[in-house]
Parts: sequence; structure tokens; C-alpha cells
Amino acid sequence: MQTATRPEKRSYDAIVIGGGHNGLVCAAYLARGGRRVAVLERRHVLGGAAVTEEVYPGFKFSVLSYVVSLFRPHIIRELDLARHGMELIPLECSFLPLPNGDSLARWSDPHRTRREVERFSKRDAETLPEFGLAMGQLARVAKRFIDQPAPDPTSLDPRELWRILRLGRSVQGLDADLQYLNHKLMSMSAVDFLEMWFESRTLMAPMSVSGIIGTFLGVHSPGSAYVLLHHYMGEIDGAFRSWGFSKGGTGGVSLACARAARSHGAELVTECEVERVLVRDGRARGVVLADGDAFEAKVVVSGCDPHRTFLGLVGEEHLEDDFLTQIRRYKLRGSSGKVNLALDRFPDFSCRPGDGPHVRGDVAIAPSLEYLERAFDDAKYGSFSRQPYLNVVIPSLVDPSVAPPGKHVMSIFAQYAPYFISEGPEHWPEQREAFGDAVIDTLAEYCPTLKDSILHRQVLTPWDLEQEYGLTEGNIFHGELSLEQLLFLRPAAGWARYRTPVRNLWMCAAGTHPGGGVMGAPGELAAKALLRSREV
Amino acid sequence: MPEVVVIGGGHNGLAAAALLAKAGHMVTLLEREEMLGGLAAGEEFAPGYRTTGTLHDTTRLSSEVVEELELERHGLRRDAERPAVLFPERDGPGLLIGGNRAAARREIAHLSGRDAARYGDYCDFIDRARPVLSSLWNQAPPDLGDPSRRASWGLALKGVGLRRLGRRAMLELLRATPMCAADWLNEWFETELLKAGLAGPAVLGTHMGPRSAGSNINLLFWESVAQGAVAGGGAALIRALEAGAREHGVEIRTGCEVARLFVRGGQVQGVALAGGEEIGAPSVVATCDPKRTFLELLAPEALSRRLEHRIDVFRARGTTSVVHLALSAALEFSSRPGQAIELARTGGSLDEIERAFDLVKYRRFPESPLLEIHVPTVSQPELAPPGHSVVSMLVHYTPFDLEGGWSDARREELGDLALSTLERYAPGAREALVARKVLTPIDLAQRHALTGGHLHHGEVALDQLFMRPSPETARYATPIEGLFLGGGGSHPGGGITATPGRLAAGAIGVR
Repeated sequence: MQTATRPEKRSYDAIVIGGGHNGLVCAAYLARGGRRVAVLERRHVLGGAAVTEEVYPGFKFSVLSYVVSLFRPHIIRELDLARHGMELIPLECSFLPLPNGDSLARWSDPHRTRREVERFSKRDAETLPEFGLAMGQLARVAKRFIDQPAPDPTSLDPRELWRILRLGRSVQGLDADLQYLNHKLMSMSAVDFLEMWFESRTLMAPMSVSGIIGTFLGVHSPGSAYVLLHHYMGEIDGAFRSWGFSKGGTGGVSLACARAARSHGAELVTECEVERVLVRDGRARGVVLADGDAFEAKVVVSGCDPHRTFLGLVGEEHLEDDFLTQIRRYKLRGSSGKVNLALDRFPDFSCRPGDGPHVRGDVAIAPSLEYLERAFDDAKYGSFSRQPYLNVVIPSLVDPSVAPPGKHVMSIFAQYAPYFISEGPEHWPEQREAFGDAVIDTLAEYCPTLKDSILHRQVLTPWDLEQEYGLTEGNIFHGELSLEQLLFLRPAAGWARYRTPVRNLWMCAAGTHPGGGVMGAPGELAAKALLRSREV
Repeated sequence: MPEVVVIGGGHNGLAAAALLAKAGHMVTLLEREEMLGGLAAGEEFAPGYRTTGTLHDTTRLSSEVVEELELERHGLRRDAERPAVLFPERDGPGLLIGGNRAAARREIAHLSGRDAARYGDYCDFIDRARPVLSSLWNQAPPDLGDPSRRASWGLALKGVGLRRLGRRAMLELLRATPMCAADWLNEWFETELLKAGLAGPAVLGTHMGPRSAGSNINLLFWESVAQGAVAGGGAALIRALEAGAREHGVEIRTGCEVARLFVRGGQVQGVALAGGEEIGAPSVVATCDPKRTFLELLAPEALSRRLEHRIDVFRARGTTSVVHLALSAALEFSSRPGQAIELARTGGSLDEIERAFDLVKYRRFPESPLLEIHVPTVSQPELAPPGHSVVSMLVHYTPFDLEGGWSDARREELGDLALSTLERYAPGAREALVARKVLTPIDLAQRHALTGGHLHHGEVALDQLFMRPSPETARYATPIEGLFLGGGGSHPGGGITATPGRLAAGAIGVR
């Protein structure tokens, strides 16, 4: 996609800092509302953490985010993203190879899954549909929360109280069993919650990991259960399914948003680093670029995380102590890294060889609950997991456009790689290759030919996520998704409605409600609130 | 025929029985052991050496129970302020933190002036939150599942109470409750020793470490509710409660193990004792743990499958062992030479506590266990021969389901570990050792009929707090008419409080 490297005009209605998918969604809505908008992206390519890059000639990597599930269907409709090239390919299988040569594949077809699970536990195979049904119902309630701004429990505004009452009713409207489950889900650990249903620890291990992805929690940590819902909230084509690939890599989602924004007249500018937000008399007036040039805007919208926005772009001198305290203690502490591989050929999993449908979804290296918990123990005390949890996808199997014929790209999400290693995060570069080796060695135990097929490897540590992609402390969600940082507390109490203490400065990314993941919701909700505010 | 049978003669059973008798019911209390008190009972663990109870902490005893039963008239005395607890160091003065805030701040100032100032702010925050937290603690939990107007009104009132804190404190409290204690304490303080010591109430007796989300609510509750300790510990409390119960006419029978609860047509009919005797009664208050009540004492057909499942998944994996030591000398901590220390808590940093917790996940116990140390002979020298002392320790974290199982050898291994850990802070303990007694979670389970050996009758984590032990039984009444719960498996949980017993009695009401 061709982009300018310089804004055309001197002044805009809105300048969006950061061309990640949320910034682009926000810009698209603002432009669609008739506002003059510019999106300024520091890197040479749009997409932020939802980006496709040709890191090695002929191989297109979904460098960071590698699957899409929660992208809000109404955003796709309202911005006509399908026409702008967004195409999602559903994942049909979650595959778990086991060290003893066995394996477990969970399919989107429940009957097939049942037959697989039966080998581990007949009882669990019977429980699975019941579990899926209950989770689906809870997910429907959860979606009401992510599709609107966070409720403000301190508000005395009758309209807000009415809204809270209605949200409360949607929870109270659940039958007693589901309310009980909802309460448990919000507060339990993933393992404890799953143990209420299942007996096979082999089955529970790959199920539990969806509770920890991107967080600084272990599968036994209370608070990890509710993230399990994510697996039941995914919607592709309006149908309940879980995860999908974006055609052409995850960057395809961002590019569709970018095209939509441009079609409404938004200006998209790359290689344009914003150094600070111009603040005068407590109001944001525009931005100053790294080269010193300044551009004016009625409102500035930050698509960066809260630390970068307030401690970096705005500057502490423009903020009150109380707010600063809240932002400083907002927890990011990234916990994961990525290894992307260009492969000469398909590497067989020895327990189930071939490039059949079982490897066309995601592959989890999560052989036991104890394995996962030990991986977390390493991270707690400041080192990367010697044997990490891995989530592997090979998108070239279903989307041949991302690799040359016969070759493959493999994307490996690896956890835990804590930003705060005991030597200090700035020492990550010295450990980068050791971390990459740990990931490859772990996977090679299941794919003996893996090492011989690697043409190129890209290792991204949390330090790299921060330095290259601007994700503070390498947190892929712009801040932990723990209960105390959700809803009306994200990113700070009293500032969960996209506004900030600096007038005319707004937030639109994952550091605001409803949080991280490629879903576009913060960008959309911020834009809609902004359009209603009459500030622009 | 009694009108109410109370199962269990611990602090909760005695409080429930006494309050019910005071309200006009004919009450019979049945205790399995020969002696009353359960976990609050003192015992002579070696000839001439006595403890004041398996549990040490009497600071959360319900003031309502004390007043309603006029326990002071029966000899109960409470200290004016919270007891000081030593957070010892191997080489250094440690910290001695108690209810006297000025003294606490002076102690902290030796390590960090910033933390001393912040400790004042911390206490101020607790003071502001106290009305909300202590009313949550002291009242039956709200019925979240009941859509009736009365229940909604009750919830709304709770909301108003919260709102009265002011916007900032309200948001801060909502933010703090689901956190892990480590994050919360790290926000306040920089001194590891202080953070580790304060974290104790968040995790002691639980299957959680300081990094476990939700552990902070235990800390907030403890800080809001804890007051002066009962002079003489649990044993003295039990004596006062027993006197109160007898005064109101409770029939107390010890050595009477209940083997079965009778139910007919969904209504409780009475109990059968292990010896075969049957006692009919229209109401029964069970203060044993919920799993025992529902899964052992009741016939399976008396329970709905749903309730059976919910009780079955109620987590009660004990992690605490008890080690009593009889010493021929006073226990002296190297942190405070020459000073008599009654309470101490080891674990020099949050990481150290977390590491002690890590292994329990893999069904092993750590090499450096976390000790909660009580030296009752400091205030009651008569518990041991002159010049001698008694040291009673709660040892964390030790799994109920130890890998390979508990055996005499593993029990002694644990006793040695606890003793050598103690020696690091109090050299000379081993040399003065006269006798010791080690109780693993398995031993506690057997002695006190505690399922899973859990001291709190079930995990005290966020998901098991207000729906404790299950939504339909959280308000003390159960779907089985006439059967009430009144032990640590009900809100607000375990520990010496007498509060579940009081609230269960309240659910039955005045005759």
C-alpha cells in the first residue's frame, strides 16, 4: 500500500498517533464522519502489531499477531471491510502433539473432537458439548460488555445508572447455573475452572493455555479462567467460530482498515515519528514530529499504550500527580515472544506426520499442566522458560500467497519470555538467540526435521517488541488483562472513556476498554465517543 | 427432643449453640472429640507442655458474639490493640509490627523513611475502607441470584455504602480487591521484609501465594477486622464460650461423633451417632466442613446432583502443617536478643514466600517452609515447666496430597525442616528441644475431621468467598429444610472468628 511520508496539510480535525489496527479503525470512523484525519505511523509499514512483513524474500510473516478471532462483525459491516480486502479463513483444528507419541486434535466439528477426546476420557468427551454450550452463553453476555464503553459505577448520571442496571440485568437474566459459572469464571484459575468439568489433564492442558496468552499469569493463577471465554467469543462471518487467519497475513486486517479510512478521505502517513503531543494551557493542540516540525489538530488521538502516551508523548509536567501515580502503576510487564521461520519444506510432526488438516489450525506445545506451570515459575523469578509453552501456526498451508510454492512460513508464539529478566530488560539482546534456541529445541522434539528445514529465523523478545514496535515492556495487549485493569479501571480509574486529563487528547487502543486482541473495538468506541463529544 | 442439634464443638458450634439457646431454642451440641474446641482447643502435646490452640490468630473474633453472649462476664479478656508480630531476619533487627501505629512506623523508619510514611497512608486507606469491608465480613453475604425486590434492595444498599467512601476510595477499593497481595504491597512499599510480613494474612492457610490474584482480599479483610487478641488464645475463648452456652442451657455432649444426618421428604429429621444412638431434631446446624456435611453425613439421594457437584468441586486442598515444640529454655530470636517475642512470621521477601508456595503445586513441600510462630508461654508461662517454653508453628506450604504419600519418615522430615528453618532465626531452639509433635495436613484431617486437611474448611479465594460453599447454601440455610451450615466453610470463612456460627444462628432466628 502506497503511503506518504509527510502530512499534506498543516492542520487537521484529528491526528491519530500510530497506524495499528485500532488507530486505523478510529481514523476510518472519524473520516467517515466527515472529519479531516491524518494517521501518523512511525514505522515504514502500517499495522502496528497486526502487521505482515516480508522479512525474508518471498516469505510474508505475520510478525506479531498471528490469528484473528474477536474482530467485531459490526465494524466489518460499518466500514465495509470485506470490500476493502479483509478475508478471514477459519482455523479448523487445534492440534496437541504429545511427547509419548500420542496426540490430540480438537476440530471445529464436535463429533470429530469427541472421538479424539474419547481416547483420553469418555466422560470428558460427553462433557465437552455441555461445556461449549455454557461457555457460549456466557460469551454472549461478555460481548455486551465489549461492544459498549465500560460502565462507570461511580456515576450519578441517570442515563449511566440505567445502562448499568441493564448490563446488570443481562447478568441477572442468566439462569442460576450460569450465574454461578459466571462468578466462578471471573475469579478462578483456568485449571480450577476446567477441573470442575473435566478429568483428563491432557485435555485440560491445551484448553487452559488460552487463559494465559499474553498475560503474566500461570494456568494455576486465579484470574486466568475468564480469558477462556475468548475462545467462545470469536465470530467469523457472523457465525460462532473460534480463530481465523487473515488472508495475506494479519496485516491484511490492518490494510483493509487503512483502505477504508483512505476511502473516506483519511491521510495515512508512514515513517513519520511523533515525538510529543503539543500541549498548551492544558489542551492538546497538535503533535511535534521527531524532526521538529509541528502539525495542528483539534483533537489528538493516541493509539499508543498508556505508558507511552502519558509518560512519553505527553510528558509528566502536563499531568497531575494522582493520575501519574495511576499510570505508573498500570501493569504492562510483557511475558511473551515470537519466533518466525521461513521453511524450506513442511516439517512433519512425528506423532501425526503429513500436512493434513490437523496442522492447518494451531498447534500447541502444552504437554501437561505441570509443564505449563513450571514455564511460568521460570518467568516469575526473571528468566525465560527453558521449556516454553508454544502456539504454532503454519499459515502457508491454507494461504499459499504468503510463501513461495512448496515452502512455508511458521509463526511460533512463545511464552514465557518476561520483559523483566533478572539481568534487566536491556540485556535481552544478549539472550535473544538463546531464547530462540530454547523455542526451536522445544519444538524440534516433536518435529525432528524442523532444524534442517529452516531457511531463516526471526526472534522477537519483549525488548524487541518495545524497541521496534513501541509496545511498552513488550506487552502485546498494551497492559495486563487482570481484573483490576479492566472495564472502568482501564487504564485508570475515572479515565476509562477514551478521554484523558489533557483536554482534546483521546486514547483509542488496547490500553482502554475492552482491551487487547485484534478486535477493533477500542478504536471504534473511541471514535464514536469522540464524534459525540463535539470536540471535533 | 432438642429443637436444634449443633454438630461440632469448635468456636463456631459453641457460638451458634449458645446464641440459639439464648434466643429460646432447646439446643444439643455434639462434639466428636472428648474435649471441646476443635482447632481452637489447647492440647497437652507432651507431658507438662500445653498449647493454646492449633490456630493462633484470635484477632478476628466477632465482637458481636462477645457482646451478645457477654463473654467478658465468663472470663474473656481481649487486648486493647493488635499483637505485635516479629518479621525476623537472620542478621538484622527485623521488624516488629503491631497495632500501635506510631511504634510500627518507628520500626519501619529504620529500614526506609519512605515506607514509614507510606505505612501511615496504608493504614489510613484501611481505615476508610473498614466500614465497607467489615460490614461485608460480618453480615450474611448478599443473595446475588435472587431477583426479588428485597434482595435487589439489599444489593443497592451495599452499593450506597460503597459510594459513601467517596469516588476515589471506592474505585481504589474495587481495584484492590481482585489483585494479588504482591502487586498491591509492591505499590505501597519498597522494603521486602515489610511486604513479606504484611502479606501473611493474605495467604496463610490457603493454596495461594502472594502472586495469586485475589489473595489481596484476604489481606484487606484481615486488616479491617483484626483487633486485639484473646488473652489465653483459643483455649480461653472456648472456656468462655462453653460457660456462655451452659448458662443458656445448651446440652453439651462430647465424644459423640455424628455418623449420619436423617432426611425425610426434604426435611431434616435428626442425626445418628457413630454408636448407633439417634437424636431427632427439626433443625441441625452443621459446623463441620461442607464436604463432610453434604458428601459424608447425608445419604446421596438427599442431595440434588447439582448441589452434589458444586460441593464436590469446592476446593479444600490443605497446605498447612502444625509443629509444636517443647523447649527447655526461652526462645530467643537473633533479631531481638533478650526480648520475649510471642508471635513471629518468617519469609523475608515476597519471592521467598512465593517460592515456598511453588512446590505445593507439584505436590511437594519446600526446603524453606514459611513459619507462623506462636510462643504462648511468653504470656502464659504456666503452659510449660518453669523456665521452659512452648513454640507452636503453622508450617507452609505442605500439600495434603504429598507426592508419594505422607509417612512417618516424611512427617519427621518436615518436622526437621521446620526446626532448622526456625533455628536460622532463633539459634538454640534445637539444643533446647525436649519434645516435638508434627501434624501434617493428613493428621489434621483425621484429628479434626477436616476434609482435605484445610484449616479454613475450604479454600478462601475470590471464587469461594461470597458463594461459600455454593450459591444455594451461601446464606447458611440449605435446600434441605432444617439443615443449616455454620462452620468455616461458610462466609466469611475459617479462622477463629465465631462469625459463621453467629450468622447461622441468625438464619434460624428467634424462637
